[in-house]
Amino acid sequence: MATSSSAGRVLSLCKQFQNVVRISSAVNTQSCSPALTKLPPRQYREKSPLAALSWRSPSSSVAPCRALHTTISRRGLDEFFDLPENWGETTVKSGAPWTAKQLRTKSNEDLHKLWYVLLKEKNLLLTLEQEAKRQRVPMSSPERIRKVERSMIRLETVVNERESALRMLQTGQEKARPGAWRRDKFGHVYWYRFKEYAIPWYMNRRYKRKSFFTPKFVQPHIRLRLEKYLRQRARKTSLERRTQSKLKEKFPHANISAS
Amino acid sequence: LASRATNIYPLYQLGNPQLRIFRPNWFLTLVRPGKEQPPDTVQFRIPMEMTKYDVKNYLEKIYDVPVGAIRTRIQFGSNKKRNHLHQKVKQPDYKVAYVQLAQGQTFTFPDIFPEKELKHEEGSMEEMQEKFMEDEKQRQRLDPRRGGVTEWFGL
Repeated sequence: MATSSSAGRVLSLCKQFQNVVRISSAVNTQSCSPALTKLPPRQYREKSPLAALSWRSPSSSVAPCRALHTTISRRGLDEFFDLPENWGETTVKSGAPWTAKQLRTKSNEDLHKLWYVLLKEKNLLLTLEQEAKRQRVPMSSPERIRKVERSMIRLETVVNERESALRMLQTGQEKARPGAWRRDKFGHVYWYRFKEYAIPWYMNRRYKRKSFFTPKFVQPHIRLRLEKYLRQRARKTSLERRTQSKLKEKFPHANISAS
Repeated sequence: LASRATNIYPLYQLGNPQLRIFRPNWFLTLVRPGKEQPPDTVQFRIPMEMTKYDVKNYLEKIYDVPVGAIRTRIQFGSNKKRNHLHQKVKQPDYKVAYVQLAQGQTFTFPDIFPEKELKHEEGSMEEMQEKFMEDEKQRQRLDPRRGGVTEWFGL
């Protein structure tokens, strides 16, 4: 089922080659992003979702740029498995995860496509892990899963940053989901996030059972809790002070700020 | 990703636009079926929050795989085993999806761990160790001219 034709494969570029293969000029970075985009952690695989970018630049309008065309992989379920050369290897080479700094330089379309590349990679690694457990064989280079996870988390943070900046500019709201500071029964003040309902709150029986106030008989408990917290904080500071004084006694010439 | 873990979908009322999910945070694991399955059936482990329609759209849109029927079930992870402190240890529950491919396609789970000959690179530590072990074994072996019989017998 896993037919691999090397004819249709294009050697994907990874970060190390990025500086070598700098094709386009600064003007045409948009259309030539397939060539410059850094790959997910693996080096020698064909990149499928980036092919769409090359369709828009068929070498008509942007003269100095050489468009790199990659074929869309139509392997379907074979994308759940690695290249057949890597089956049975103990270690498979993979690059470093994407950092947030690198991801911030990418456009939204590139990030969107990268998300799916990373998603497919993670699915691949998870199938490999499960099959390795099934066959009772150690999985080849398990650190790849963590790398992909980290890249995805960073991608999500970058996208959220951009979304939040846009929302602030357009509406002045910091948070996407509205909320409010509320007290619970125990006297804690917390950020309550609103939930969407089809009916107003005064018709919602379950919501009315939630009391967002502190009854008066809870006040002694709050006071005791506060005393406990202050006692613990005082203990911590006094402990620090005691250790510092002891160290100063033992080592009078030592640098205090270093410890 | 905590934001996705406590994801709340927007409320749907008649006339609302179709819910679209960008950058889905769901991962499918293709597993080898424990019991014999028909040739067009693929078995996946999917997150608990996914439904049959989610899996169908996922495979069709992301993997371009034509999907026919899908059936799902939830596998209960055992809570019977106990650790060295005699506490019950729960194995996580998971959802299994049996996906039947459309257009008469078939799928067999490949052998991902074939036996490969370990070739060490030239001049490496492992190669020297291998050679040493080979020589040791050669010295331990008995005389092949006498048919591997021990020296205890005969002259």
